[in-house]
Amino acid sequence: MSGPVLDVRDVRKSYGDLEVLHGISLTIGHGEQVAVVGPSGSGKSTLLHIVGTLDRPTSGTVVVDDRDTSEMSEAELAGLRSHRIGFVFQSFHLLDGVSATDNVAQGLLYRGVRRHERTHRAREALRRVGLGHRLEHDPRLMSGGERQRVAIARALLNRPAIVFADEPTGNLDSRSGAEVLALLGELHAQGTTVVVITHEHEVAAAMQRRVEIRDGLVHADSLASVAGGLR
Amino acid sequence: MSRLRSRVRLVDQARVSGVALRSRKVRSVLSALGIAIGVATVVSVLGISRSSQADLLDQLDELGTNLLQAESGEGFGLGDDTTLPDTAAAGVRNIAPVQSVAMVTELGESVLRSSLADPDQTQGISLRAAEASTLDALAGTMAEGRFLDDAIGAYPTAVLGAVAAERLGLTEVDGRTSVWIGGRSWLVVGIMDELPLAPDLDRSVLVGYAAAEAYVEDDLAPTRLYVRADADVVDDVASVLAAQANPEAPENVDVSRPSDALEAKAAAEDAFTSLFLGLGAVALVVGAVGTANVMVMSVLERRGEIGLRRALGATRGHIRVQFLVEAVLLSVGGGVLGVLGGAGVTRGYTVWNEQPYALPAAAVGYGLLAAVGIGVLAGVYPAARAARLSPTEALRSG
Ligand SMILES: Nc1ncnc2c1ncn2[C@@H]1O[C@H](COP(=O)(O)OP(=O)(O)OP(=O)(O)O)[C@@H](O)[C@H]1O
Ligand SMILES: [Mg+2]
Repeated sequence: MSGPVLDVRDVRKSYGDLEVLHGISLTIGHGEQVAVVGPSGSGKSTLLHIVGTLDRPTSGTVVVDDRDTSEMSEAELAGLRSHRIGFVFQSFHLLDGVSATDNVAQGLLYRGVRRHERTHRAREALRRVGLGHRLEHDPRLMSGGERQRVAIARALLNRPAIVFADEPTGNLDSRSGAEVLALLGELHAQGTTVVVITHEHEVAAAMQRRVEIRDGLVHADSLASVAGGLR
Repeated sequence: MSRLRSRVRLVDQARVSGVALRSRKVRSVLSALGIAIGVATVVSVLGISRSSQADLLDQLDELGTNLLQAESGEGFGLGDDTTLPDTAAAGVRNIAPVQSVAMVTELGESVLRSSLADPDQTQGISLRAAEASTLDALAGTMAEGRFLDDAIGAYPTAVLGAVAAERLGLTEVDGRTSVWIGGRSWLVVGIMDELPLAPDLDRSVLVGYAAAEAYVEDDLAPTRLYVRADADVVDDVASVLAAQANPEAPENVDVSRPSDALEAKAAAEDAFTSLFLGLGAVALVVGAVGTANVMVMSVLERRGEIGLRRALGATRGHIRVQFLVEAVLLSVGGGVLGVLGGAGVTRGYTVWNEQPYALPAAAVGYGLLAAVGIGVLAGVYPAARAARLSPTEALRSG
């Protein structure tokens, strides 16, 4: 646990002739809470997929939890995701017709954990996100805020080194959004490292650090402006 | 630094696929149905065919396989003498292992329903003189009335074969029922059940030798002998039968064993079996295409889920196996339904036809094997598509 959780060096990404990321460098330490903001189409989701090892950069390096991902095979990247990375998506991606507990338990499926233990830990995680009374609910019968909390519980289940959330409040009304935001705040207080892409000012303002992406480049980083030339 | 590997326990992999099917019940059942119908067809066709075969063999057991038939044949084209010598029956009785001999003579006269019927309309019914022992020799039974015996065989009385009775429109014997033969009325004393060992007698009307001689014609040399012999030496008896029946022209005697025809029938796959098996195969192919289609649709619809699973650490292999197992479960589910359905149809058929119930294990085995094979075939392509999907693409679409 010496280095940062995430170290991104000069990452570029092209789709054919179109370069979307033009050389992004970013370092995120343990326990940090980072908002990534920027206009639509600026490359935020693309960046999140790359640092989350769901996609590879065209050039540059991504080091997650002291592991250089450019040298890893697809299977090794999957292993890294199953052990060290959590994801939260705008559209929840919950399985319909499957209870909240079983949905959350999917978070440990690809680590070969036995069902009994998965279920046990899933219940625990649901209680942690304030859904102890919704353990056996079908997600289709839940409010948007509750559904996103189920998804967050799932992302936390493997005790990841870092959680990436792509517009987690984007599909929620303001009350549910506030609920989810409060939960993210609690997680930060408990030491979880979280990177949140957001369009919403309140969400960004609530985060400890803000990184602004514009046209595929880091336009501003609140840490850099506070810490001056420390890096 | 420790290697991080994603791995899924096999039971969990199966559980994931099972849950996916269960949460889409209607679709799963409908697509399994195609395969179920195919498997049910194959299983019931094989089951019915085996049951009919078992029935024939049972019948054969009851009828016995020790009956021989000696008939005057064409020989080498020598003349048109189509009868056996008068001494044939006596000759045959001299063979030690012969238990009984029954003589039958084909007569030229036609049988009519009444004196008013058109004498040219014989409806394919032939008239034969038969000994009283004929019914026992053929292991036959009476549907109505009684068979000829030496007492009534001397009077103008007749017994009808099953088909002959039907063609004449007679179903019961009430003591007044009669037919018209050779310009006089003959009292019908009985109607026989079908004779599996002598189907041509079903289309005959039988009269006693004494009555035939008195009222129809004089030349009553036998045209056929039915011979029951000791079961373990039937072949030996068969080999000397021709010479004993007609010592002067043994080559004019055709010897056969009527049970052979039934045995051959039991052994033969009939054309209907092949036809229905073909239909079953077509249904299976249709079921396979349907399953593949449902799986492809499912993959398209569930791109979000696929992306999520990749994000949770699933490898391409895990995704591939998930969808493959799903297809196989679907298909095997259909297969099990089909086997149950096929067994049920077979059972119904045999109860209806009063046949013994026999379901060959091979039919069940092949049915299930086909289901597994179809599942794999139908699943390979959709599973490959699901595995090929990049996680980012999958997530963007969902
Ligand atoms: N697979 C792809 N092929 C081609 N272009 C792509 C692909 N994926 C993304 N892009 C392009 O890359 C650019 C950045 O997309 P990205 O989704 O990262 O933006 P974003 O900042 O997340 O936007 P938003 O705020 O709307 O979610 C866009 O112009 C998009 O059209
Ligand atoms: Mg985006």
